[in-house]
Amino acid sequence: MAVSFADVTKRFADGTTALDGLNLEFELGEFVVLLGPSGSGKTTACRLLAGLEMPTEGRIEIGGTDITGLPPRFRDIGMVFQNYALYSHKSVYENIAYPLRIRKIAAAELDQRVKQVADLLQIGSYLHRRPSQLSGGQAQRVAVARALVWEPTICLMDEPLSNLDALLRLHMRTELNRLHKRLNRTFVFVTHDQEEAMTLATRIAVLKDGKLVQFDEPRAIYRQPSNRFVAEFMGRPAMNTMDGMVEDGVFRAGGVTCKVECRDGPVTLGIRPEQIGFGQIGSEDGFSLTLDVKETVEPDTLLIFANDEGTITVRTQRDCDDLAAGQPVNLRFPMEALHYFDARTGERLR
Amino acid sequence: MNRSYKILAVGVLACILVIALTPYIWMLLTSFKGRLDILSPEPRWFFTPTFDNYPAVFIDKAYLPLVMNSLVISIATTVLSICIGAPAAYVFARNDFPGKEDLFFFFLTTRMAPPISIAVPLFMFFTLIGLTDTIYSVVIAHTTFNLSLVVWMMRGFFAEIPKEIDEAAMMDGRSRLGAFVRVIIPMAAPGLAATAVLCFILSWNEFLYAFILVAFEGRPLTVGIPGLITPHGTLWGQVAAVAVVATLPILIFTFLVQKHLVRGLTFGAVKG
Amino acid sequence: MSSQRISRIAPRESATLHREHVPDKPLQRPRGRFLLDRGASLPLILPATILVLIFLVGPFGYMTYTAMTDLSYANPDQNGAFVGLDNFRHLVRNDPIFWHSFWLTIRFVLVAVGLEFVFGFAIAWLIWRFVERQRLLTTLFLVPMMLAPVAVGLIWRLLLQGDFGMVTHYLHKVGLLSQSSAVFSSPSLVMPTIIAIDVWQWTPFVTLIILAGLMSLPKPPFEAATMDGAGPWRQFVDILLPLLRPIIALVLLLRAIDAFKEFDKVFILTGGGPGTISELLSIYAYRVNFKNWDLGYGAAVAFMVYLVVLIMCSVFYKAVYWKSAGAAGR
Repeated sequence: MAVSFADVTKRFADGTTALDGLNLEFELGEFVVLLGPSGSGKTTACRLLAGLEMPTEGRIEIGGTDITGLPPRFRDIGMVFQNYALYSHKSVYENIAYPLRIRKIAAAELDQRVKQVADLLQIGSYLHRRPSQLSGGQAQRVAVARALVWEPTICLMDEPLSNLDALLRLHMRTELNRLHKRLNRTFVFVTHDQEEAMTLATRIAVLKDGKLVQFDEPRAIYRQPSNRFVAEFMGRPAMNTMDGMVEDGVFRAGGVTCKVECRDGPVTLGIRPEQIGFGQIGSEDGFSLTLDVKETVEPDTLLIFANDEGTITVRTQRDCDDLAAGQPVNLRFPMEALHYFDARTGERLR
Repeated sequence: MNRSYKILAVGVLACILVIALTPYIWMLLTSFKGRLDILSPEPRWFFTPTFDNYPAVFIDKAYLPLVMNSLVISIATTVLSICIGAPAAYVFARNDFPGKEDLFFFFLTTRMAPPISIAVPLFMFFTLIGLTDTIYSVVIAHTTFNLSLVVWMMRGFFAEIPKEIDEAAMMDGRSRLGAFVRVIIPMAAPGLAATAVLCFILSWNEFLYAFILVAFEGRPLTVGIPGLITPHGTLWGQVAAVAVVATLPILIFTFLVQKHLVRGLTFGAVKG
Repeated sequence: MSSQRISRIAPRESATLHREHVPDKPLQRPRGRFLLDRGASLPLILPATILVLIFLVGPFGYMTYTAMTDLSYANPDQNGAFVGLDNFRHLVRNDPIFWHSFWLTIRFVLVAVGLEFVFGFAIAWLIWRFVERQRLLTTLFLVPMMLAPVAVGLIWRLLLQGDFGMVTHYLHKVGLLSQSSAVFSSPSLVMPTIIAIDVWQWTPFVTLIILAGLMSLPKPPFEAATMDGAGPWRQFVDILLPLLRPIIALVLLLRAIDAFKEFDKVFILTGGGPGTISELLSIYAYRVNFKNWDLGYGAAVAFMVYLVVLIMCSVFYKAVYWKSAGAAGR
């Protein structure tokens, strides 16, 4: 069974178009990440699925049933909010139990279920506390527990990790991954953090300006970005892209020269910082650039070169102690690591 | 240097406190004084207390029903204002619609309207439908001005609850209205209680509407007070006893809601 | 935060959930119109609006109409014939008592609110600067303002009795009062006394709100000013007052509106007398309506009171919603 968005458009009262004809379909059981910069419509897509917003046009279906216009309570969907939205006047236990109380689950089963899900999320020891006495990470877990306790078909998460500090975020990420593997439940997760998306998703939907740009597995998105936007959005540091001309199978732009497998004419060349190699001076496919800044991020080193067109960043594990700013360095772009994009539209070529 | 300033400041404040409190304390004392102690040309701070004034006015002069009237009017007004005003405040806090702020301001004018301007036509209107001299007319009049207090104050309290709470309740299985009634109202309970107490105080203390709308049956305590004052031979002990009963509950309430008082008195403009 | 430490706990088998991750049958779409789920503003806001319309706008409209008739319960000949703007014309041109009341009220508002502001601000500042347990002290200060205005009138009538009033006695003793006579029958003393009582009653209001404003002041501007070498006085004038401006405007307006409507206290204290010396606008309107039963003309007077308050009210609204008003405002 699948969840599908068919030509879904959402315009708000103030005239902004948050979603513009979104088409998206995924299977139940997946961990789908909606990824995009702010204003891309990812949160709106999530809220439309939740039923908190209604689409201006289009249909949303779950397992073939049209749920467009259906209030949230009939949708069998749970949700974790960015600010957790815990009921401050109820204890943690009552927060988690609340969806069950609404569904009039008998006391014994309710208690069992709350304790089970609390166990699962390792919050069993502070069930009696108030939300105000919880740390960010604990509140986060309570919010997840509340969304899972009644076992909805789909669990939505709207940037749930963005209010946590860095270390905790990594930890919760692992937890969520484990949770998905354990429960085999459908998760839809909204984030602007490409690293979160890469680690969590079975498939990533990249959105931009209310449109779906690419929907694929993380690996495919990283290796075969469908256009320049996705290429630059995924990976840190971002992919190097440069506009230039191909003549006789050789690409030239600023100080960059390399052999390419591409028809002649204008093209945007892309290469990931970690795939740039170091060349011998005078070798055929290498070229020389002046080192601008060196940043050490153990165990890697980032070398940043400035040329007329912009900057090129290299990420390497090579020992760079001998290099200093202002020195010329020979670089080499391996042909198999190159991405080609249409110079005008930014679409991937081939 | 700094310390002596502080002592000076505290001294000044203490004097002001004495000025602020002495009149009320004097009233309190007077209610326990006999006739001779009251009429003594030299103020008597120490005297043998008597409790005769209270039964004299509340039982013999039958002022006890007035206390009941005041209670009924204030409680009914408070319940009505909250029940009608809180949902409106919630809409003002959550929804957007054209003309929202204008409507909001319109509610403010009801609080600001001079009672004398409204009471006259209201009196004619209630005469027309035969409601004058009943508690209902006062309750309705008090509700109109308390309504705006509820709308203005509760909007702030509701706005402080993130709207994700409504949404979380809806995701947990409540309807939209259910989320308001079952989740938001309980969460706003402290603010709601403070608002209710302020409504009660304002209604309890109100004089002019009640004075014009009810003369005999159903008149509250405030309206009964002027009747005790005569050009000659006012029984001040009894007057003081009525004044004490009319004010002491309010002062106790004030201590309860002091935290939210600023917000109530400024229509939510200052948090306090 | 200890429980937040990264822990690697192996998944326990016991914690499995009940339902399959993919439901065996598709979601059933319930029928219905979901009335409780609509983003319904109207049903929630309508009762309040209707109540106000019927019992406030209605009377106001009726008052406006009555003001254009000659309705009087005292004179059977005047049974409500339409007279246009005659009442207003008479009011503005030929009613010295109205103008006396009007200017009396204006003076009352200016002097009383002015004094309340000066005292209230000073007290608030002293509390803010020198007192640690502010809440307790402020609560005690609030007593005069929380009393029913009628009770305030009573208290001061008792205190200012001619022959046995406590305050009269002491004022006479220290020589502030030439003779121990009733203050309220002396034409020259009655208004100052009423103003003094109003100041006693409402200074706490100013104190309370200014103190709330002072306590919500941000620290950084003062720290920056100290670093820039500004002394206490400069800080007060250049930083504190501008930051507090919205709250000051708010307090002054709220007090001015309330003072303009003043009725209860003065009604109990003097009833407007002696003569019309202390007859504020509200009391004049009361007298015309309920003593003379001249309802048409009385409505015109009440209308004028409403008009002035409405103007002050709009100013209040602008002041409160002054978006650039700064941190202290809404």
